Amino acid sequence: MVKQSALSLSVEHVSHSYELQGVHNPVLADVSFDVEPGEFVALLGPSGSGKSTILRLIAGLEAPQNGIIRAGEQVITGPGPDRIVMFQDPTLYPWLTVEGNVGLGLEIQKQSDPVKVKHMLGLVGLQDYGSAWPHQLSGGMAQRAALARALVNDPQMLILDEPLGKLDSLTRLTMQTEIARFWRERGFTALMVTHDVEEALLLATRIIVFSPRPARIVMDVPVELPASRHRDDPVLMNMRRDILRQLGHGEDW
Amino acid sequence: MTTVEKKRRCCAKAAVRWLAGSAWFVAALVTWLWPDGDDFPDTLLLAGLLAAVGVVLLVMVAAKRLKDRAAWMLALGLGLALWELVQAKCLLLPRPFFGTPQDLLDVFLTDWRRLGDSLYHSLMLLVCGYSIGAVLGVVVGVALGWSLRFRYWVRPLMRLIGPLPPVALLPLAFVIMPSTRLAGLSLMALAAGFPVAVLTWSGVAAVDPSYYALARTMGAKPRFLVWRVALPAATPQIFVGLFMGLGAAFSMLVVAEMLGVKSGLGFYMQWSQGWAAYPNMYAALLVMSLMCSGLMSLLFKVRDRVLRWQKDGLKW
Ligand SMILES: Nc1ncnc2c1ncn2[C@@H]1O[C@H](COP(=O)(O)OP(=O)(O)OP(=O)(O)O)[C@@H](O)[C@H]1O
Ligand SMILES: [Mg+2]
Repeated sequence: MVKQSALSLSVEHVSHSYELQGVHNPVLADVSFDVEPGEFVALLGPSGSGKSTILRLIAGLEAPQNGIIRAGEQVITGPGPDRIVMFQDPTLYPWLTVEGNVGLGLEIQKQSDPVKVKHMLGLVGLQDYGSAWPHQLSGGMAQRAALARALVNDPQMLILDEPLGKLDSLTRLTMQTEIARFWRERGFTALMVTHDVEEALLLATRIIVFSPRPARIVMDVPVELPASRHRDDPVLMNMRRDILRQLGHGEDW
Repeated sequence: MTTVEKKRRCCAKAAVRWLAGSAWFVAALVTWLWPDGDDFPDTLLLAGLLAAVGVVLLVMVAAKRLKDRAAWMLALGLGLALWELVQAKCLLLPRPFFGTPQDLLDVFLTDWRRLGDSLYHSLMLLVCGYSIGAVLGVVVGVALGWSLRFRYWVRPLMRLIGPLPPVALLPLAFVIMPSTRLAGLSLMALAAGFPVAVLTWSGVAAVDPSYYALARTMGAKPRFLVWRVALPAATPQIFVGLFMGLGAAFSMLVVAEMLGVKSGLGFYMQWSQGWAAYPNMYAALLVMSLMCSGLMSLLFKVRDRVLRWQKDGLKW
């Protein structure tokens, strides 16, 4: 597998707010962080703190009100095929077959490549479902298809917004392993929002914890553990306790 | 269900199948042997045709090609026999408002050329008007859902003209259009186009915003978002509009042909009523309902093909 070049990211003093029924509603308050190419960064924070918002800004779906976000050397002004997003819902188009959905990005880029699509489907274990309709897939299979749809574009950065949030715990374990494997083999930069501290500790090389809204960074720690990690690792358990305390759940774990 | 019951039910079904063919023979025999109550044409031919249908049905049963429709064919055969009995043999219902099967057959035999010609003209007018209306409706609906400026200017017009029954514009259209056919055509396009436009618009407006976000993150431009995301996402709604539009186009067609367009099935019907040629009127009515039902079935076929990605849908 050829490793594609990974993208670095720099978020510089970004603030953002929404207008909600006429009320000014700050969501991000002066957020800054840099990501090295090939890092796997997990973003944690209380619900509604603004994690999805920062991902939308990085994806280029919206422009930040203050501050600058750079991908590589470029200032982000809009979405681009170098940064591919995977959402909590698989969001497969019901009118396209699984193959059609997975090939969507290539088609938009006018680089349709059925062979590559088929190959990618095989890598996520959906080789027999290429011509199925999305409603014929289970939740886990649909999310696999969404993963294939993201990866077939050879993104330099993969942006994951709670990609496993709606899956049952066993399917989650399998897909965590798969995401980790793709990241290791392909070497893209990964940015993942999750509400599962353990998942973050198992996958990420670095964890950033946000405060409640408006989001500020309250913790930014590297996860210095070998690639094959175990849930019972004492280092991991200690980090878990620290992070939960930062999230205000020090007593509950 | 016990095996005995199952067997009995199975036997009953087989009996219905064989009876279906026989019923048409009964109708044929009644027609042939029972003397007519008055001087009706084509009695022998009708008996022959009924018998022929009976033969075809029996062959189909033997070849196991007649299953679900058997009960219907049975009822139809009995119904024809009854009609023949009541109207042609015993003259029970007032004539000439109620015709006999022979009268109907006679119209098709003697006037098929004019009937066919009327069908052709109606079909042409309908297909042209409806197609224009459907295409314009989709375009206008997408534009309404997509462009703020277009919506600003066109929505009030839609709200003013849309709820008006298009038939009400017919007198005006006959005056300002160079020909009555053109008037009928444009009003049919209007009648079909309005529901299509409204439902396309509502379909486009209801598209899940995350569908757009997804395509945009992969670099999609507005063109792609309109044609490859909004439009396919709205197709179920568009088809609802297309069905409503087809119904509206049918009524528009008939009214236009009855009031001004000098050809087509509506015109034929109007004419036969004027000459008290009631069998001709029934014949035209039959042809018209076959035409409408055929077109409706065709649209259902198209829908089932286009929307085959949907889990379920009404079967026509
Ligand atoms: N389009 C919008 N218009 C108005 N307010 C918005 C919009 N999108 C998000 N918000 C507000 O911004 C805040 C942060 O939303 P965001 O989706 O980023 O949270 P989150 O951290 O992803 O939460 P969760 O973990 O529950 O997904 C919320 O209070 C939300 O109400
Ligand atoms: Mg979120």
